[in-house]
Amino acid sequence: MSNTRHYGGNPQKNSPALGATLAYMGINGLLAMLHGSQGCSTFIRLQLSRHFKEPIPLNSTALLEDSAIFGGWDHLKQGIVKSIDKFRPQIIGVMSTGLTETYGDDMESALAELRLERPDLEDFPVVLSRTPDYTGSMQEGYQQTVSSLLATLLKSSAARTIHSSSQSTLPAIALFPGVHLSPGDVAELKEIVSLFGFQPLVVPDLSTSLDGHTELEPVPVVQGGTTLTEILQLPYCKAAFSFGLSMNKVGQYFQEKYQVPHLNLPSLTGVAATDTLVLALADLAEKPVPAKLQHQRSQLLDTYADYHDQIGGKQIALALETDLLYSLATALLEVGAEITTALGATEQEMKRFPPTIPVQVGDLEDLEEQADGSNLIIANSNGRQAASALRLPHLRAGLPVFDRAGENLKVWTGYRGTRQFLVDVLNTMAS
Amino acid sequence: MFVKLSNLDLKDNGEIAEKGAPKLCMRALPGEGAERSCAFDGARVVLMPITDAAHVIHGPIACAGNSWDNRGARSSGSQLFRRGLTTDLRENDVIYGGEEKLRQALHEIAGKHKPKAIFVYNTCVSSLIGENLDLVCRQAQTALSIPVIPVNAPGFLGDKNIGNRIAGDVLLQYVIGRELEPSIPYAKNLHAINLIGEYNIAGDLWGVLPELKNLGIILQTAITGDAKFDDLRSAHRASLNVLVCSKSLTNLARHMQLRWGIPFIDASFYGVEETSNALLNIAKALGDPELLRRTRQYVKEREIFTRAQLASHKKKLAGKTAILFTGGIKTWSMVSTLKELGIQVLAGGTQNSTPEDFLRMKAMMDPAAHIIEDTSADGFLRLIKDKKPDLIVAGGKTKYLAYKTRTPFLDINHGRKLPYAGYQGMITFAQAVTRTVFSPVWDLLKHPFAGERGSSYE
Repeated sequence: MSNTRHYGGNPQKNSPALGATLAYMGINGLLAMLHGSQGCSTFIRLQLSRHFKEPIPLNSTALLEDSAIFGGWDHLKQGIVKSIDKFRPQIIGVMSTGLTETYGDDMESALAELRLERPDLEDFPVVLSRTPDYTGSMQEGYQQTVSSLLATLLKSSAARTIHSSSQSTLPAIALFPGVHLSPGDVAELKEIVSLFGFQPLVVPDLSTSLDGHTELEPVPVVQGGTTLTEILQLPYCKAAFSFGLSMNKVGQYFQEKYQVPHLNLPSLTGVAATDTLVLALADLAEKPVPAKLQHQRSQLLDTYADYHDQIGGKQIALALETDLLYSLATALLEVGAEITTALGATEQEMKRFPPTIPVQVGDLEDLEEQADGSNLIIANSNGRQAASALRLPHLRAGLPVFDRAGENLKVWTGYRGTRQFLVDVLNTMAS
Repeated sequence: MFVKLSNLDLKDNGEIAEKGAPKLCMRALPGEGAERSCAFDGARVVLMPITDAAHVIHGPIACAGNSWDNRGARSSGSQLFRRGLTTDLRENDVIYGGEEKLRQALHEIAGKHKPKAIFVYNTCVSSLIGENLDLVCRQAQTALSIPVIPVNAPGFLGDKNIGNRIAGDVLLQYVIGRELEPSIPYAKNLHAINLIGEYNIAGDLWGVLPELKNLGIILQTAITGDAKFDDLRSAHRASLNVLVCSKSLTNLARHMQLRWGIPFIDASFYGVEETSNALLNIAKALGDPELLRRTRQYVKEREIFTRAQLASHKKKLAGKTAILFTGGIKTWSMVSTLKELGIQVLAGGTQNSTPEDFLRMKAMMDPAAHIIEDTSADGFLRLIKDKKPDLIVAGGKTKYLAYKTRTPFLDINHGRKLPYAGYQGMITFAQAVTRTVFSPVWDLLKHPFAGERGSSYE
């Protein structure tokens, strides 16, 4: 919400627990469990389902009034035990909510108590992520949960076993994508990394879980995604990349903990942004940039030339979470567009924005007030009220996008993806 | 500050001990994967369709951010109800309290959006930190000269059903019978009815209205689909209440009977037979023999017309099988709707219904039909594998799960885009069923691929 208002009007924020759910959806065999009341998980399932067109396996500890008084340990413990018995996951990922954080449920102690009561679960991997609804948005919850995943799973007993067998460095690259990257984006990223001869190890990997594929046997735990075995190989990677401003923290933590050199790439959209990745990979591989990528780069530059006059000087208003906002705004600046409004859902990493992007915190009611007179709105589907009030073309981006097809496969990263982004921008303005 | 549970008529619908019966209002088990939503959601479902009111959620972003403007309730006028308005409570508000923020928010919203009334929804976090919602609302109402109404249904109170009831109580306490000019003597409007629990999802109400109009039955107001706040104030002038969704708003109908002597009946507008029954029962209950005569003639004509339109669908669909999972009156009315198309219901289940709805569903189904007990995704998958239905009829939550099992699916809950109520709605419904059941994609999905390793799906 803006500084002059005391309410959020048409929020663009999603809850941090929704971001946590997304992070968990990229881990194979994981069962996600929300520690809160049932509505919290229902809203998240519906929101993600209508965006990805996929079932979202998210369980709940189903808290009630008495838990708010006596604490939610029993519900948490029961929930973990019941879902292990019933659904046989390999990992359980728990996220907290505004309800449990307000009365201060100590999830770590509840888990420790459970392990004492059930010695057979002593080594069962349970990830706990603290995502109170009153702090941050989807992006914060996602980043926090990726951190918790790494910290917990790399400390697990399975990790200790691998450690002792002292593996040498693998020809693998660790990739930590931000929540602004779609399953299609992650697939593109993996392909770029593979072209240099590296094995990409992605945490979390939505490109094989929420990419929309038919399954032989649907089950209520995550199918596809990064396997635990792959996660345990992370410390032996040659290098690590994190994508999105907010994910720098994750990469830094990983570098300090496991001495794997890390590079944060705030964006993967645009020539300059993609060049940074591609040149870094060429350095690591000690190889020239593959011909395929060089060709894609020249195609992108040709597209820039062809359409620079149509996009040049166009005034664009964006409302997105900051990682995506940064990526798309910098790419638009690169082709000569003007960013007139740039509203972030929260202020996370705003200090790293260049002065050419007039970034501030805002919701979609702010967008409606500020975007008048611009040529294009870029926001999630909820921006439709603003777009129709202002009679402006509206390019869907971010989450949720429920009224356009193919959101999970959309690729706006890399040379190829940037070209698609530019085409989508132009076609939306033309319609 | 919370409503008296005794107002909600919970006891006289005591739980029944049958397998698969909905557990009333309480106690979902942690970890079982049931998807029942919460009391806050239930209250909002009932009140949110009031089109010219502002709906302000006093809570952190999870309660509003993930879900605003996500229901298919339609309006013929104001779109204000679709705005996502929330105090978006932050950490500091949790520590220092959010009442002042709420007070300012209410003033700002009233100034900017000019609502006819404001509903303020309590949430888990705001109730836990002890916000005095009633006081803030009362003060704002005085200052702003519009009704500012607290809705005390935080999520942790229980499931959706209890929230529906609380919303009914809110309407009774703050809205119905509180006309702007109370000097107008109270008089009932003859032949005027309220449709309670009709939320105009995908325009359902607009499919029923022409039938009522043709018969000379007046819609006083729907509660609350496409309703203006002032329409609801005068709801007590109706001669009859017709409950068309869940019986979870029976408390509202019952109290309106006590207070204003308005009788109530329940009815469903899903299916040809149910629509006719509904119109006939309304005519009967309104006690006008001439109207009843007219209605008898009218429904006969409409049935003949509609059945002629349905014939080709029925021919194709005869012998197909379905699994049904929904809530409210659709729990049982959909059984007969599907039967009318020649579709046999193999299994049925419900979560958000009352025991009566459940028993009625059971009575209408084939005795051999399965009652769904395990309502988790896992339970569904096992059931689908076991029964291999030709169609799954359920809410949006199940949609993509159903598709993963390569089974045709029809969304009949709030996320749908098409109106299914009334005679015309039944034709739309039949078209939608035929479209999914006979889509050419299912054969492609089930056909083994020569180039694939491993076995095919079936």
